[in-house]
Amino acid sequence: MSDAADLHKRASLDLRPAQCCICETDDAEPLAVGEDFEYRTSGDFFLAMRCRTCGLVYLNPRPSFQELDRIYPENYHAFQFTQSHYGFVYKVRCRLETRRLLSWCSGLNEDARIIDVGCGDGFHLRLLRDFGRATWKLEGVDNSPRAVQVATRAGLLVHHGIVEDLALNAAAYDMALLIQTIEHVGDPPAVLDAVRRLLKPGGRLVIVTDNTDSLDFKIFKGRHWGGYHFPRHWNLFNARTLAALANKAGLEVEAIKTMTSPVNWVYSIRNALVDLGCPSWLTNRFGLASPIALGVFTTFDMLHQLAGRGALVRAILRRPAPVERPAAN
Amino acid sequence: MRKPVAIIGAGLAGLTAAAQLRRRGIPFTLYEAGPTIAGLASTFSDGEGFSYDFGAHFITNRLAAAIGVGADCRIVRHYGETVFLRGRTYGYPFGLMRVPRFSIGAVAARARAIRNEPPRSAAERFRLRYGRAMAEEIAIPLTEAWSGAKADELAPSVGDGIPGIGRVLLLKLSGRLTRRAVACGYSREMPETPNVWHVYPEGGVALLCQRLARGLEPAIKLHSPVEAIVVDSERVVAVRANGREEAVSAVISTAPCHILAKLAKGTQALQPLARFRYRPMVFVNLRLKGRGLLPDVVTWTPEKDFPFFRLTETPLSMPWLAPEGKTLITADIGCEVGDPVWGAPDEELGELCLDRLQAIIPDARQRYLGCRVLRTPIAYPVFLKGYEAERQSFAQSTGIEGLLSVGRNGEFDHIFMEDVFWRTTRKVRQLLSPWQQGNRAP
Repeated sequence: MSDAADLHKRASLDLRPAQCCICETDDAEPLAVGEDFEYRTSGDFFLAMRCRTCGLVYLNPRPSFQELDRIYPENYHAFQFTQSHYGFVYKVRCRLETRRLLSWCSGLNEDARIIDVGCGDGFHLRLLRDFGRATWKLEGVDNSPRAVQVATRAGLLVHHGIVEDLALNAAAYDMALLIQTIEHVGDPPAVLDAVRRLLKPGGRLVIVTDNTDSLDFKIFKGRHWGGYHFPRHWNLFNARTLAALANKAGLEVEAIKTMTSPVNWVYSIRNALVDLGCPSWLTNRFGLASPIALGVFTTFDMLHQLAGRGALVRAILRRPAPVERPAAN
Repeated sequence: MRKPVAIIGAGLAGLTAAAQLRRRGIPFTLYEAGPTIAGLASTFSDGEGFSYDFGAHFITNRLAAAIGVGADCRIVRHYGETVFLRGRTYGYPFGLMRVPRFSIGAVAARARAIRNEPPRSAAERFRLRYGRAMAEEIAIPLTEAWSGAKADELAPSVGDGIPGIGRVLLLKLSGRLTRRAVACGYSREMPETPNVWHVYPEGGVALLCQRLARGLEPAIKLHSPVEAIVVDSERVVAVRANGREEAVSAVISTAPCHILAKLAKGTQALQPLARFRYRPMVFVNLRLKGRGLLPDVVTWTPEKDFPFFRLTETPLSMPWLAPEGKTLITADIGCEVGDPVWGAPDEELGELCLDRLQAIIPDARQRYLGCRVLRTPIAYPVFLKGYEAERQSFAQSTGIEGLLSVGRNGEFDHIFMEDVFWRTTRKVRQLLSPWQQGNRAP
């Protein structure tokens, strides 16, 4: 029976219980049951829960840290988002992302130090190097040896490990980026805490992540939402939960807004098609390599963005400057 | 250090509670009277390729995901029910709606229901909900056969949790579309959606318990029936097992209610539970040649001349439960402990079922390969009106500080496996929340 053979091929991951990282409780309702629709790294079912207190969406149970190599396979897109793989889409994304990055970095000094936490293959660092000020000092952090290897080969300074454990200089950075990283990490408050310590007082942190207040989430949240990215996205936020997280980590909120992105739309549809067993010629119309779908949904999501409901949410946070205490009498 | 929590019963509920306590680092002892874990969730296999479940056939993909056994589950592709009436089969519920006396009666009942008083019994509720014809011919006789009580004497809450027609339509259609047995009427604690369907773990539903029990082994005591729960000033203080008393901070019991009432010493608060009745049931598993002998997975037989009220051909949902070319039909017979049916030898029960099964499967006798009978004295809780007020109050709380009663038998409720998991999780969280707030305080 092919069914049974298939079953054994897709052995179970080691899964561990989790709780809401903001409230530190597990009082949550099940929201979605899904599978690894994109990479099929295991045959497990995954459960997305929503915290009844704060509304954070989180994966519970989730793979143990020993399983990271398995759930991020060789062909994982963040390890090789290159022009040769993604052609036209790559070019358009470069242009869009450069504009965004430079706008976040607009106030930085000439000698600013910028660190990209969860930099993957160094896509954003390369954009900053190629289009930002030549005097900026750029660094990255990533926990994947493969990603670090690719980034290093491109001449970037990338530290291998997780930001909480690395001995980086405290209060040394003007700007930190967490671009589609926070949803992947095990302990977001700990990561933000570590990043806060890296920042100079008044230094800024930009977080970009999937938005659970968007229309694509509303439509697909029962199973196929691209933002779940089962089982790799462990915590999913909206403006409210991002603010709560910042607060917990002692960071000030400067602004939280949404941003346009077609990716979750396209992947939600793709996941639904894959789940229904549609042929690959159809499912392949929806993915990072499909410019038409990406184009259509970029336009579509722009309309939602106008209503403040874009597919991504972006927070600009700041390490508080030391409060000047009045001298004691 | 806090005294341990005692958990009584290593079934799905007891193990769910245990796993939750371990996660929070709270010490506990799990007492199991029998020689193994898994309780009602056990599966028996004979040497000939047939598997028999003790009632709990289905779990949902959501429960499998929550416990982390999804990779070991197969998807159930089909589930459907029919009603056999006057020699004909009707699909449930849509086939029945094509019968004018049922559909007109149901619509009329709905129209009347707007200005009606709340029903006072299950019988009234069924008449109001389904119309007189469907209630008298189907819902009431089935409920009576299944509960052993007159529908006039049953509380209207018997009908709680049965999904409405719109919901059923949506769920059934999405099941067709996705070729998955979308759960409909199998989960009461969490919403049923087109994304929640039946699955079946490799080797049987006991896999859930095995996974939950992982790492808990040192705290599980088998062959250890709890002899008493010691209550002082309406608060649990200790349990006695194997002749020894252990001081405890709380007790999470999965024991049937009438047994819980006997176990609790030093309180009168649980005495009403002694009246709660469970319906004993005999499950006659008929092994037959062929497959697809029944019109669908479940066939309800409300007519009184059938000894059984329900037939289930499980291999239509789960082909792996019987060897190829053969099938398993389970006939459910309600009874009382000690009555002739309860005491009848297996072969006699097989003959009794075969006799009447021929009305639906004419050549059943030629196909018959033998049977295996499972008996349980506590298959279903019976919601008698006589103790409905006590039942409702018990559903809120046991009335004893530090005592939880969870699980299908412990809650005295018509709940399914997924409900047991979520409800136990919720109740244990509520039990622990004052302690944890205490821990957090400086």
